[in-house]
Amino acid sequence: MSQLKDVLKPGLARPLAVGGGVLAVIAALLPWVTYKFAQYGGDNYPAAASLQFFDAPFQLEGYRLHTLILGVVVVVVALAPVPARHRVLRALGWGLVAVGVINTVFAAVEGGGLGAVTAADGAIAFGGFACVVAGVLAILAGIAGGIEHVHVWRAKVATPVAYLVLLVSFVVLLLLVAMMLNAGGQGGVGNPYAGPIFLSLLGFLAGALGALHGVGLTGWISKLSDQHKVFSVAVLVLCALALPFTEAGTDYWMTTAANIGIYAATAIGLNIVVGLAGLLDLGYVAFLGIGAFVAANFSGAAAAAFGVELPFVLAAIIAAVVAGIFGAIVGSPTLRVRGDYLAIVTLAFGEIFKKAAQNNIGGLTGGANAIPNVPPINWFGQSFDKSLTIGSLELPSGVLYYVLIIVLVALVMVVFANLKNARIGRAWIAIREDEDAARAMGIKTGQAKILAFLIGATLAGLAGAVFAHKTSTVAYDSFQFIESVTLLAAVILGGMGSIPGAVLGAALLLVLPEKLREFSDYRLMLFGLALILIMRFRPQGLVPDRHRRAELADEGAEGVPIEELNVHDTPGGSTAVAR
Amino acid sequence: MRNQTVKAAVLVAGALLLAACGTNKTESGGATSGNGGSCDQSKGTLIIGVIAPQSGGLSALGLGIKNSAQLAADQANEKCAVKGYKLAVQTEDDQATAQVGAQAATRLSSNANVVGVVGTLNSSVAQSVQPILKNKSIVQVSPANTNPSLTRGADYGTAPKRQFDNYFRVCATDDNQGPYAAKYLVGKAGKKNIAIITDGKTYGEGLAAEFKKQAEKDGAKIAATAKVGERDTDFSTVIGTITGSQPDAVYYGGEYPQAGPLSKQMKDAGLNIPVMGGDGIYDPKFIELGGKEGDLATSVGAPTETLDTAKAFVDAYKAKAFKDDFSAYGAFSYDAANSIIGALAKTVEGGDWSDSKRADLIKNVQAYSGQGATGEIKFDEYGDSTNKLLTVYKVSGGKWVADETGTYSG
Amino acid sequence: MATLLQQLINGLVLGAAIALIALGYTMVYGIIQLINFAHGEVFMVGGFASLATYSYVLPDSWKSDWYLALPLMAVGGALVAVVLAVIMERFAYRPLRNAPRLAPLITALGVSVVLKEAVRLWYPGATAPVPYPRAFVDKQFSVEAFGGRITIGSTALLMIAVSLIGAVVLQTYISRSRMGRAMRATAQDPDTARLMGVNPNRTIVLTFAIGAALAGIAGVLYGIHYTNVDTEVGFLYGIFAFTAAVLGGVGSIKGAVIGGFAIGLIKSLAGQYLPGGTSYDLVWIFILLIVVLVFRPQGLFGEPERVRA
Repeated sequence: MSQLKDVLKPGLARPLAVGGGVLAVIAALLPWVTYKFAQYGGDNYPAAASLQFFDAPFQLEGYRLHTLILGVVVVVVALAPVPARHRVLRALGWGLVAVGVINTVFAAVEGGGLGAVTAADGAIAFGGFACVVAGVLAILAGIAGGIEHVHVWRAKVATPVAYLVLLVSFVVLLLLVAMMLNAGGQGGVGNPYAGPIFLSLLGFLAGALGALHGVGLTGWISKLSDQHKVFSVAVLVLCALALPFTEAGTDYWMTTAANIGIYAATAIGLNIVVGLAGLLDLGYVAFLGIGAFVAANFSGAAAAAFGVELPFVLAAIIAAVVAGIFGAIVGSPTLRVRGDYLAIVTLAFGEIFKKAAQNNIGGLTGGANAIPNVPPINWFGQSFDKSLTIGSLELPSGVLYYVLIIVLVALVMVVFANLKNARIGRAWIAIREDEDAARAMGIKTGQAKILAFLIGATLAGLAGAVFAHKTSTVAYDSFQFIESVTLLAAVILGGMGSIPGAVLGAALLLVLPEKLREFSDYRLMLFGLALILIMRFRPQGLVPDRHRRAELADEGAEGVPIEELNVHDTPGGSTAVAR
Repeated sequence: MRNQTVKAAVLVAGALLLAACGTNKTESGGATSGNGGSCDQSKGTLIIGVIAPQSGGLSALGLGIKNSAQLAADQANEKCAVKGYKLAVQTEDDQATAQVGAQAATRLSSNANVVGVVGTLNSSVAQSVQPILKNKSIVQVSPANTNPSLTRGADYGTAPKRQFDNYFRVCATDDNQGPYAAKYLVGKAGKKNIAIITDGKTYGEGLAAEFKKQAEKDGAKIAATAKVGERDTDFSTVIGTITGSQPDAVYYGGEYPQAGPLSKQMKDAGLNIPVMGGDGIYDPKFIELGGKEGDLATSVGAPTETLDTAKAFVDAYKAKAFKDDFSAYGAFSYDAANSIIGALAKTVEGGDWSDSKRADLIKNVQAYSGQGATGEIKFDEYGDSTNKLLTVYKVSGGKWVADETGTYSG
Repeated sequence: MATLLQQLINGLVLGAAIALIALGYTMVYGIIQLINFAHGEVFMVGGFASLATYSYVLPDSWKSDWYLALPLMAVGGALVAVVLAVIMERFAYRPLRNAPRLAPLITALGVSVVLKEAVRLWYPGATAPVPYPRAFVDKQFSVEAFGGRITIGSTALLMIAVSLIGAVVLQTYISRSRMGRAMRATAQDPDTARLMGVNPNRTIVLTFAIGAALAGIAGVLYGIHYTNVDTEVGFLYGIFAFTAAVLGGVGSIKGAVIGGFAIGLIKSLAGQYLPGGTSYDLVWIFILLIVVLVFRPQGLFGEPERVRA
């Protein structure tokens, strides 16, 4: 590809960018599809598909609005003095490409061929293609100018200002999340565009965030939140609790969000084992299962092994303790077994758990019949699966589980953060980096490793107790290998050892399949592709841990932290080789 | 290394394009048809939800359920069955797990236009779906849940008690099908030394347990019991463990993907005895996969070839040219959807659909009666199908041939 | 006694299939320390590709002659598997060689999901198991001995023979040939290997290709023996093979083969003789695995784990 570099002289950057930007604006105004989608009741393809802009400029919405915004910003960035200009241009370009490709492909396929997006029946529609070309131009402009490093803002601000900035950015984040969850509505038969609308919005947001990251804004905010940790955590929890009041406050999203929370709490537990102590665990979902089965057995369900109904809190504590004990048992081979060999020991444990549960071991798991009809949690006469009415405000059902889960996740986060910065946390990190050296420094590695398993499993057991009541049935097939993999993927996607990472990873892995329901048959495949792509472009995870960032920095070229090096920019290929 | 990126992008775009092309092919059948020409559909669209596995290992059964429900809705639209409304089917993947099933159910239940749900395939998923739909009074008719406790509670044999008044099913329960099979195998076929093999899943375990009870009561000896792994393909070990006890028949609790190869491997190992199973193995694929002459299966309703409604269903399904077979539970799904449609037509007769009509709809499903692809469709006081008619089929000349039809009575 | 012998044979047959797949795991792991979770799916794709060769490529007149059809099916299966593995290495794994250690693991899982779903969606009828052509090289030999009958099929014999021959050839290739030396050199120290004139990228691709070819051949053998192929088998056999490779000691050819046979034997013997029978056979495999690893943490034939930076 050196030829491309030779052709793209730095001087070309500005003209290319301006051209791309203008073309994007034109694309936003061009029609994107040639005809109305009759089978969907004569709807226009999501947004108005004509040159309507000129008679009603403010009706521009959806992907057309996104294209317009991106285009205008590209032009502005090209002409105005902006830090890390070419990096920003490239990010914006990718956003344009994503929006263009997603909408073009969907329209072409649903419209029955290329005619739907080019020219047919006397109508022309090259909007999508123009958008993609515009994006490519912007990317080329970025490359021609040379990609700079991410700009770093060194501005120090007074505490009140910092608080304000954090507050605003978290609220914006909340609104973005709500908007994303609700993008395209809930989908279904009356609303066939929900899938592409969501993906297109995702593409737009990715481009915009990439640009903000390049400018250094996100880095600055994350630095601020590091400086004011307590405040940010409090605001974040408040924001999370505010989600039911936004447009995402529906039964469906509350249920999904509560499930995300359960997986997030479990993923944070796994993060201790994998992210901090560096012990690969491929059977972790077993601890969630143990917690769930214990809680179900103490729930008073008809099929429970014990005829007692313990209060939820007590049952949850017992679940956590039992899971923790099993954690210590599973962790004990770590005294001798290391690395990937340990991984298979944990995998083996996961399979043993599943088989035992399937065969109704000791009459505790209900075997193939599962433990059905676990009653919902009921506090102060309010059943958790019913909707909640406060004054005149009716909140969706599932909101109480959501709140409970938020509290649980917050609790688990606090435990994690404290452990990480404590003596034991440093011991874990030392073990992860070099076990022999850690032992030489006087760390009792065996103890520390078993403790990692024990604490991780305890947290998972706690989450399992909520799982049992929330799902109302506990069956062995909820705890298969693929769930362990999902949890591990959540930790690695989010960034190993990072708390927000684990939550973000879990959220992504559960929200994506839900939003991809539109593609029914294809959703698992798209999920697999997403895993590959995310790892391909951001192997260190979406929110790498700060320690980890520092550690990785040494490995990057020329002292640049590795997260700033996009992988495809590193001299890989012929020179880079395995460890 | 920009070229890598470009190549990767091209590759992904290509894959997406291919994926998308496929969608068009499968969906067009449902999307274009069913505007029903002259029908009055002015009041809008009502939705019948389907919850079944659409991706992953059990998708063959789930896709059959989805397509058959779609067929029922399309036919209803053509016949203007529900006055003033257009019917549509919205399918939600449950990935055969309880927690995803719960999300699917919530998604459907929060849509005001969803009138009823056809599903689920797995009993364990049904357990998590039932309470959610119950909360919103949405009627649910399952084409495939055979676990008796879903309708009659944990003590279904001794003290039956209705669990959910919005839950119905059109398929036979284990405690009906299993004993009937036992009566046939022990009584009519005269097998007295039977080995039982199960796949460890809810359907197979439940069915085999009920079979075992009756077979022992009728004087047969259970020579051996063994279990195959859910996704196992090598059954030589299992066959080895039962060979020693020299059984004269095998009852298999499970589905055809395992049962077919099992039958073949038994024959190869020199154990040439009939394999019998439930409706989970009554599928032409069973024979393709190795089911041998003389193998037996029970299925609900009168023999397909004697039922005009069954033939009509098969012909209509074929005419639609769906990508996937209707599979083991397609006919049940068709009947389940039709019971909801029939009850819905009655509910909205001379009125509009609204949330307050949900209780009426449940009542009307309870009172529904019709001739379906699997025989008469009617529900008893627990929500189970009253159609207790079962047919034993035998593999003969490479085809399933009806051997005996009857009902199980105590 | 007859039962024991029969179960031993059953175990060997299953073990042979596992061993063939485990070879691919162990080779890839040996050279780049990657647990290639998608390898089981490569095996599955190999099975489908060879079936497709039979159904859509071979002329009808060749189909009944096993000496024509079988090798061509094997070639078809292996070819597709190799192409797939090379593409996979190039686009999914190579860009991640310098990434954190667990990143390629997730990629591998992603690849595995994509492959499984792709076959399920686009191979006709693959939502359920797809039947293989039968009655072709499918003969049963049985002897009356030790108070019972012992049976083994021709396909089973073929499977055992191919896996043993494959392992011996592979071992010889790696220890004797120039390319084999390059592989071992790259496994030990890629940078030094490069200085010695070895092209590590080519060597790694070759490793992937050999592993995939073996998996493809395993696919066709599996198909004709079990007379069907299913999108789910990749996962199950992938786990078995991964376990076998670890049990034998990852990186060791001998270990993978012995590990494979061991797993097959444990499964059949545990199903027959251990408490819980066939319900718990997997449990016994994994318990024995854990015990072996506790006493020999590097597996039966593995070298003690190198300290990695």
